[in-house]
Amino acid sequence: MADMAVETTGLQAAAGPYDRAKALSAFKLGDKAFYWTTRSCAISVLLILGGIIVSLIIGALPAIREFGFSFLTTSRWAPANDPPVLGALGPIYGTLVTSLIAMMIAIPVGLGIAIFLTELCPMWLRRPIGLAIELLAGIPSIIYGMWGFFVLGPFLAYHFQPFMISIFADIPVLNDIFAGPPSYLSLFNAALILAIMVLPFITAISVDVFKTVPPVLKEAAYGVGCTTWEVVRSVVIPYTRVGVIGGVMLALGRALGETMAVTFIIGNSFRITGSIFSPGTTISAAIASEFAESDGLHQSGLILLGLLLFILTFLVLAAARLLLLRLELKAGK
Amino acid sequence: MTEISIATSVPSAMPPIGAQPDGPAKVTVRDLNFYYGQNHALKHINLALATNRVTAFIGPSGCGKSTLLRIFNRMYDLYPGQRAEGQVLLDTTNILDPKLDLNLLRARVGMVFQKPTPFPMTIYENIAFGVRLYEKISKSEMDGRVEKALRGAALWNEVKDKLNASGLSLSGGQQQRLCIARTIAVRPEVILFDEPCSALDPISTAKIEELIDELKEQYTIAIVTHNMQQAARVSESTAFMYLGELIEFGPTNKIFTSPSDRRTQDYITGRFG
Repeated sequence: MADMAVETTGLQAAAGPYDRAKALSAFKLGDKAFYWTTRSCAISVLLILGGIIVSLIIGALPAIREFGFSFLTTSRWAPANDPPVLGALGPIYGTLVTSLIAMMIAIPVGLGIAIFLTELCPMWLRRPIGLAIELLAGIPSIIYGMWGFFVLGPFLAYHFQPFMISIFADIPVLNDIFAGPPSYLSLFNAALILAIMVLPFITAISVDVFKTVPPVLKEAAYGVGCTTWEVVRSVVIPYTRVGVIGGVMLALGRALGETMAVTFIIGNSFRITGSIFSPGTTISAAIASEFAESDGLHQSGLILLGLLLFILTFLVLAAARLLLLRLELKAGK
Repeated sequence: MTEISIATSVPSAMPPIGAQPDGPAKVTVRDLNFYYGQNHALKHINLALATNRVTAFIGPSGCGKSTLLRIFNRMYDLYPGQRAEGQVLLDTTNILDPKLDLNLLRARVGMVFQKPTPFPMTIYENIAFGVRLYEKISKSEMDGRVEKALRGAALWNEVKDKLNASGLSLSGGQQQRLCIARTIAVRPEVILFDEPCSALDPISTAKIEELIDELKEQYTIAIVTHNMQQAARVSESTAFMYLGELIEFGPTNKIFTSPSDRRTQDYITGRFG
């Protein structure tokens, strides 16, 4: 008992002149403020997202009332008619086709660059290529648009498209996809520009995640006698597939929504044709080229298009998540 | 090429080291030097790994044990700026020959690493993967090979009911034995162990040591370890390395009971390291 008493007084003496409880409560106040600041930042994201969705829905309401489900199934777009006839099939088709072609080009090329940079590239070449990729990501989309219009479009129309059309002329199905006449402004041109634009995303993210593969894991694979290709295919890509798919989805998101460059070179035609060398339009290109001079039902229709793009992007992200989940299940985790 | 021939014709400055290992040599190292860029990491190494014996490498951190091990399967080749000079013979093949088929070499010289490194795939695939690189065999033959390898690594009974689970779902000790199974499934001639037990608990360690004892019936084994009791338990020959030099090499019981070099004595009695 005596000992305890001594200890207690000892403690109080050690507490000394400062009041610990008071100091602590000051900290607590700071902690609370910190908590609420960060929390309100996080909540603001939800508010902004919700606000955008609500305003899109309100803006699109007249068009939804007027056209209902037929908006999705009609390909005719005649805003000048009285009453206007609006169908979104053309832009939806154009958006999906350009993004699909863009990803078909950008994924293999992007992964190829990433594999070369991380596994095979001699040291002195790494910096220049890495830098070029970063610069590619930094080019504003309007410049891609101009370059596509003045340089890439004519080149494709005079050289690439006639070549492809003649190659596939006798093959059924494919001769409908690669059908003439060649054009400066086409779905394919837009898709190629999109591929170049999203390439840096795929490459940069893939390089980053490839670097996270533990060297010892790669050594182990080399250690059983794998070639570089086998190491990449069986160890590097399985190990990093979540990250790689994330990069691809980010790129796809950008491809779906990219506006300026596509508006320049896609031709803004609402008609659906089977050929990828014919002009078309995408959702964002349609909105960008018509929104300024639209009003009434036409404007509401364009807002509805925007809402559709929003939903489309959301579905793509959801599909990506689902894919990842299934991959993980398959890997036996 | 000229460097190599010079190195073999001029006798090493070092005196012959220790006793010759019993049995014919599987791997012979002659006047080996290794550089990390400018850093001279291994200096005039001469030794031989005896066939179907366990050779242990001991020494303080940074003495070059792991570096030496990584020369035996040319793993250093993955990194620019690292180079070896001298001669390392696997039977009669010079491992350092730039024209050597590295994939074939690594199939003949397997390696088990410090940390378990299961590939991101199922247990079955982890083993079948390496086999498939060299051999086209039927599903039933492959099943047999996988089972044999897993039995060889004393892991079969623990995983036979979950061969389709991820290799990453196993415990650390099991993962390490999976890596050993993967290594022996390829039927190598030499197995290199780079501190295989440093991340394992005592029971898993004991299992691995037992396994090494069984494996030497068929394979020539080199093991790097920081655990001197382990070196004493599993090996026939021991090499003590210090600051990139091979100080002493001889029968394990001699190294641990009556070392001829002062530095070996100091290290094994724990005076430094």
